Amino acid sequence: MPEPFDALATDLARFQAAHVPGYARLCHARGLDARAFSRAGDAPAVPTDAFKLSRVAAFAEGEARATFRTSGTTLGARGTHEMRDPTTYDEAALAFGRWALASDLEPGHATPVLVLAPSPDGAPDSSLSHMLGLFVDRFGEPASARGQSYFVEGDVLDVASLDERVARALLEDLPVMLLGTSFAFVHLLDALGEAPFRLPSGSRVMQTGGFKGRSREVEASALRRDLAAAFDVSERRIVGEYGMTELSSQFYEGTLRSPSAPIGVYVEPPWARVVPVDPETLMPVATGEVGIARIEDLMNVDSAFAVLAADRVRRVPGGFELLGRAPGAPPRGCSIAIDEMLAS
Amino acid sequence: MSILAIGRTASARVSDVRALVLAARSVAAAQARLVPEVVRTTGLSEEGVRLAFAHHLELYPTEAELLSLVAGASEASRVHVILSAGVFVAALRALAVARASAPVVTVRPSVRDPVFARALVEALDDPSVSLAASREVSSIESGEIHVYGRDETTASVRSRARAGVVVRGHGAGLGVACVSRSADLRRVAGEVARDVVPFDQRGCLSPRVVVVVGDDARAAELGAALHEALLAASAQVPRGLLSTEERALATRYAESLGFAGRVWREPDHIVGFAPQGALLVPPPGRHVHVLAASDVEDVRRKLEPLAPFVVAFGTDDPLLAAAAPARARVSSLGAMQRPPLDGPVDLR
Repeated sequence: MPEPFDALATDLARFQAAHVPGYARLCHARGLDARAFSRAGDAPAVPTDAFKLSRVAAFAEGEARATFRTSGTTLGARGTHEMRDPTTYDEAALAFGRWALASDLEPGHATPVLVLAPSPDGAPDSSLSHMLGLFVDRFGEPASARGQSYFVEGDVLDVASLDERVARALLEDLPVMLLGTSFAFVHLLDALGEAPFRLPSGSRVMQTGGFKGRSREVEASALRRDLAAAFDVSERRIVGEYGMTELSSQFYEGTLRSPSAPIGVYVEPPWARVVPVDPETLMPVATGEVGIARIEDLMNVDSAFAVLAADRVRRVPGGFELLGRAPGAPPRGCSIAIDEMLAS
Repeated sequence: MSILAIGRTASARVSDVRALVLAARSVAAAQARLVPEVVRTTGLSEEGVRLAFAHHLELYPTEAELLSLVAGASEASRVHVILSAGVFVAALRALAVARASAPVVTVRPSVRDPVFARALVEALDDPSVSLAASREVSSIESGEIHVYGRDETTASVRSRARAGVVVRGHGAGLGVACVSRSADLRRVAGEVARDVVPFDQRGCLSPRVVVVVGDDARAAELGAALHEALLAASAQVPRGLLSTEERALATRYAESLGFAGRVWREPDHIVGFAPQGALLVPPPGRHVHVLAASDVEDVRRKLEPLAPFVVAFGTDDPLLAAAAPARARVSSLGAMQRPPLDGPVDLR
């Protein structure tokens, strides 16, 4: 019988209060004693901004075996998430990635995993590239038989090589797993124009992330529709992933997994929870209300088990909906808004 | 700069601006009638509104300041002014700059904050300066449009303005205070508080970041002193209302600094100190971020990411002005929100 989520969460919070100096300060600032925590929700969440300001780690500098950094900067600072043992991250990513994307594929199946993002070598501090690299290695073809897997280098999307790789899969009748960032998919659609880009039958697509000024912005449902049309796959085979550098777990739409899973609803793994909270009081909102995401991630052993994101979410049956970034305060006067500085 | 501007001499333009200042004095003298409405529209406390009337409305500019304002003004046949909300007395300077530029001025006050601007135009009682009949900028056929507010507002106006109409944007920004190594921290904390309190930090001159030359301990000491000074200030001038979004951003800032350093949180203010020079800009609403820098060069380096947005730079040491971003207004601490009426506040 596994330990209940709350028991694990409070153990982790106590461990982090003892070994992560910033977390001890946060508890102190809130007048909280970690020893008294009895439920996960008792423990304060660490805002993602803290990862840009301060080290969020329960171990000494120099012990990190993996260091991931956010792609976006806030006034020159990038959020940093160090891991002294990335095995936990790897196992969690593979387990839930398999659940969401590859549960119908037999182990050892020669699935080409094609990535519209830089390779782990090309972007060693990207947690997304690291995770996609795991999927290439563990869900895809054996290394000896594998062709090109990564089709973004720097900011360049290699459409010709991708086309060639997909054409080969079509000939071999091998369904592919096409994984990438939303903006890479927009660039691909822009490059394709009206031309179809049919994927082999049984293929699946995973898209993640926003646009961050790196491509034109496309509304999520429109992007899904356009991708499904271009790839000649069902919209249900376009699976959204939600993750962030500050976490060790990811969330997926369950559409590939269950015929009844609604599009736009993200599912948590058993070791993570997304709790919508009031952005001012940080207390959970009523069921069905919109709040900002407090993410409780038991895989964040050595950093912050609870992370306060800036994304708006709503609980719905089966999971949660992602409703975009929390808005900045509307301007009053000429004092600059924070999001205006970030947009520059 | 030409002495003649669309038929007016410089002295005539100074006279026109002076007439506006006189009108502002009569509005200030009759402020009792306006205060409740300004409180309602701006969200400032009554004390905050009275503070603005008493200390942040430029009622007694010098001749040299007005000459400077006129000399820096553009020349146009007419100017249409679009005001933003929040810093209600800013209407005087905006109209002064417009009046120095053109013989005919129309003004569109913010829908949310129209009280002072309307009162000023009524008090002036000059047909050359009037409230805009239309809210549509595409109906403006010639001259200039002066827009106050966010860059996206300016961009929107620019996209709708007719060809040949010049659009001048006065964008949003923030202030930065810089404290010298030798400063008396209690004294400068009081001065910084005087710069933070007016308009509840909704003005672009208000400091939201304080850089202390020295080590982290000294910066933390300034943070504690500033907390005390803001506490004392709010007893005199309570903060007004913040929006839900502003309160949410304040919570996020406080939580981040609670983790990263030290936070002093009160109902009317937040002071955050981050060690190792870490920078995070808090939202407006009497929220101040404090960090340390080792010397003037380090101040410049720390402020580099903010430089394009800095409108005002206050310091207790003139030598530290070398670290001010280009085109920022430089002033003494305690005087950041009282710039002379010598042109737009935003010199960027």
